[in-house]
Amino acid sequence: MRTSRRNSGQVLLIAAFIMASLLLSAQLYVIEVGKISTETETASVNDFILVVDMGSRHVVIGSVANISNGGPTSVLASNLEKWSWIIGRQYKFGKNVLNYTLRGSSPYSSGIWTYWGTNGFGTSSGYVNFTYTLKDREVDLVHPYFINVTTSLLIESSYRTISGDTKQVNVTITVLNEGQPAPAKQIAVQYKFSDNWLTPNDYTIMDYGNGTYTASFTADIPSATVEVSARVVDQRGIFVQANATGSPI
Amino acid sequence: MFNRKGQIRIIEAFFSIAVVFSVLLISVTFPSQPDLTGQTQLANLGMQALMQLDGNGTLGNLILQENWTAIKTCLDVLLPLGVSYNLTVYDESMLQINSQAIQNSNLQGHEAVSVEHVCATQSTNTEFFILRLQLAWAQ
Repeated sequence: MRTSRRNSGQVLLIAAFIMASLLLSAQLYVIEVGKISTETETASVNDFILVVDMGSRHVVIGSVANISNGGPTSVLASNLEKWSWIIGRQYKFGKNVLNYTLRGSSPYSSGIWTYWGTNGFGTSSGYVNFTYTLKDREVDLVHPYFINVTTSLLIESSYRTISGDTKQVNVTITVLNEGQPAPAKQIAVQYKFSDNWLTPNDYTIMDYGNGTYTASFTADIPSATVEVSARVVDQRGIFVQANATGSPI
Repeated sequence: MFNRKGQIRIIEAFFSIAVVFSVLLISVTFPSQPDLTGQTQLANLGMQALMQLDGNGTLGNLILQENWTAIKTCLDVLLPLGVSYNLTVYDESMLQINSQAIQNSNLQGHEAVSVEHVCATQSTNTEFFILRLQLAWAQ
């Protein structure tokens, strides 16, 4: 009896420690269980604006590729309409609106300019002005920007008469994306023979690695002038064509 | 002698109460909020990876090709070691289209953060996808 009375303080202390450890472990368990179901959605306004810019560019590139390959001009507007709708419903923390205006001033029409000339120059281009508006609890911004997607083609031709009607023809082809040299995905060269465009039987293309190519071929061309045509598809799938008249060497 | 024993009891009782209260105090002040700094870092890493992949239209092309393995390989390269992820690709109607999981580990039991990315393809038939990337620090 004396021993149990003497130890009762220690028992109290041990009980307190046990209670403390129970409380602590219960709290830790609650925190761990909470962690499993925790999934926070984060979206930075700056990141979202970059995503909108990037996507707008992709839409214009795809639309110009479609139109330059024979699709209707209305594709650009319909794709942008869909893009604006998707963007409008995407940002969850406020109201956002993406408006667009297709460039209509010359030489553009409905945001598109395709010119495949006979003077050695061809271009397939799309130009759209955007205004992105975002309003939420912390941000109220208007972000105007434009997307200009232009694939241009410059060709120069020269020829040398080998014998009779047989001519050695060289065509220098330069591909540009937004004015900067760019690689091509496909290149096809043709020459004019009695009002028909023919593909040379055998021609070589030299790639200089800077968006410049030289196509060389030999063909029987009876006419005094040598007209050539280059058809190029760039890495983005945009088609462009240009014709030129060769100069004798 | 008797009085001294009583004083010791009182001290022991006070000590016991102090232990219990200090534990209660720790419990209350224990960080029950998620680690927002770590989550913001994760979200930034995820967005950077997706934007880098989408910059030249690669992401859209890979989705069109349904090349989920290539997307996973790219994310493995773009995201640092120690980050677990799970990517889900939806079409514009929010129907999941990735037929296989694009993830490097299971995120169950992790404190995860989720970022969304809208992707437009550069193809002649423009298509739109919504990507949800869930990220967590690997344990």
